[in-house]
Amino acid sequence: MRNYTPLVTLLLIYAVMIAIGQGIQGMWQPIMLVIFYIAVGQALNIFLGMTGYVNFGYVALLGVGAYGMAVALGYYTDLGLIPALTLGFILAILLAFIVSMVVGGIALRLRGAYFAIATIGVNEGIKYLILGGKIWGGSSGIVLSGILRKAYGAETMRFLSTVFADAGLIVVAILSGVITMYILNSRLGYGLIALREDEDAAKVMGINVRRYKQIAFVISCILAGLIGATAWTLKLTYVFPQDVFAINYTVEAIVIVMLGGAGTLLGPVVGGLIYALLKYYLTIAFPGMQLLILAPLLIIVILLFPEGVVGYLAKAARGTRFEKFVR
Amino acid sequence: MLLKLEEVTKRFGGLVAVNSVSLEIDEGEKVGIVGPNGSGKTTLYNVISGVYAPDGGRIFFEGKEITNLPAHERTKLGIARTFQVPRPFGSATVRENVAIGAMFGRANAGVDEALEMADRYLEMVGIYELREKEAKLLTPLEKKLMELARALAMKPKLLLLDELLAGMNPQDINRILDLINKVKEEENIATIAMVEHLMHAITKFAERVVVMHQGSKLIEGPTMEVLNHPKVVEVYLGEKLKIG
Ligand SMILES: Nc1ncnc2c1ncn2[C@@H]1O[C@H](COP(=O)(O)OP(=O)(O)OP(=O)(O)O)[C@@H](O)[C@H]1O
Ligand SMILES: [Mg+2]
Repeated sequence: MRNYTPLVTLLLIYAVMIAIGQGIQGMWQPIMLVIFYIAVGQALNIFLGMTGYVNFGYVALLGVGAYGMAVALGYYTDLGLIPALTLGFILAILLAFIVSMVVGGIALRLRGAYFAIATIGVNEGIKYLILGGKIWGGSSGIVLSGILRKAYGAETMRFLSTVFADAGLIVVAILSGVITMYILNSRLGYGLIALREDEDAAKVMGINVRRYKQIAFVISCILAGLIGATAWTLKLTYVFPQDVFAINYTVEAIVIVMLGGAGTLLGPVVGGLIYALLKYYLTIAFPGMQLLILAPLLIIVILLFPEGVVGYLAKAARGTRFEKFVR
Repeated sequence: MLLKLEEVTKRFGGLVAVNSVSLEIDEGEKVGIVGPNGSGKTTLYNVISGVYAPDGGRIFFEGKEITNLPAHERTKLGIARTFQVPRPFGSATVRENVAIGAMFGRANAGVDEALEMADRYLEMVGIYELREKEAKLLTPLEKKLMELARALAMKPKLLLLDELLAGMNPQDINRILDLINKVKEEENIATIAMVEHLMHAITKFAERVVVMHQGSKLIEGPTMEVLNHPKVVEVYLGEKLKIG
């Protein structure tokens, strides 16, 4: 019936990753890169994986989340560290919520490919709004390092951009997984799977498909905003519109979800691991050529596992004692 | 009165698929809906269940107007249907498919209760052993049985069956008809409408028959009387009238 056991697998993977990162010299940065990609996949999966709708504006939500945190720390520094940080998380969530309510409210009236096309403009739209409107520093972005050092001291700033930023991202990544597991076991999850498979039949079965899509969209977007706030603003201590509204992250997130298994709990974890490690080590081994090698490798994996690696494993595990650990 | 259609019309471009049809179905009735291919039976179901908004006319359910109500809200009120061409949620298991009916239909069950109900209804229609299978892997016949279980699990007041029995062998047809009659009594499903081409199933099941012809209601009345009516015989001339 309801099964939360796959969370054990999920937490175990995080424990191993963190142990490797802490225990082996030089492994922390690659591990954090992996966790960033896992988080990005996990948050997108809640919408893409559960509904089958492609959100091409995804990275814009990381972007507005990053700005939410940057605005709080940069413009409300005087509130003090803890209040400013708290405000940063609130703003990240709030901005992601507002953008996703508006975009979802309009674009989710459209079906399938039309929705995807409608969301392409979202990212560019917000980017040019900030650039053209000279909002939040316009093209010069918000640079926090000087402000933070002056207000809270160099020691605190370093703590914020290393330990706190990394811990924050790990919490958001795990939280995304826990939320996914909860959704998969709830009426919401059943409703989403139904509408992903056949939206018209789902309506006739009594599912308010517009509302369900919107809920999944908003949850996915808010988690994306929190990733932007931690992995970008806190970690890098600056935000530039050209950096945070870069569409390649959207494409990478989609690849991770498909690679790992859309709509599964562990898919983004496996997808993120494969993608980030390949990218990281190919960049070191074949600098400049990494995409040329990465793309065909990814295509091979997707051809071998059309339902994603975890989709495949979950089926293979059926009837064995591992069944309840894989989802 | 459970369901009432007032001069309902549905067009597809120039084609009038349902032409000013008025129809009343009382609580507890067993109604058969027949008519040649393309006469508008499925479209009528689509308009009743909210897949299409009608181009004209009004629809009432339990006295309340539902003409402009979205499909999912009609379902909550107690309308359930099966599809002529089954529409399983392919990647979900058979049990999950039926549970979805129990969760979002009038039954409005929680997840655990819905999964238990799913097992019960799958047992009832005779495909319990398939419950862990992905729905897309079922045979067409098994899909139809799953759709019946899914519709029953919704605990509807009005159940609309669209050629559920087509393609089944005589034993299955009799088993399913008996099952439907039994469930109707035990589970208190007020009313069942059945679209069928199989006349012996209609004569066995329906107390009243509505005949559709080119989008319009040709005639309605007590089953045997209607099926032997000269107008009906004429409409079906050239078609194989399968009175069993
Ligand atoms: N979505 C649609 N778009 C265009 N035309 C349609 C559509 N649905 C049905 N039609 C047309 O409307 C008419 C009625 O079709 P409908 O499916 O309601 O008939 P039916 O009585 O259910 O037939 P059958 O016994 O073959 O199932 C047909 O001419 C059909 O081609
Ligand atoms: Mg039909």
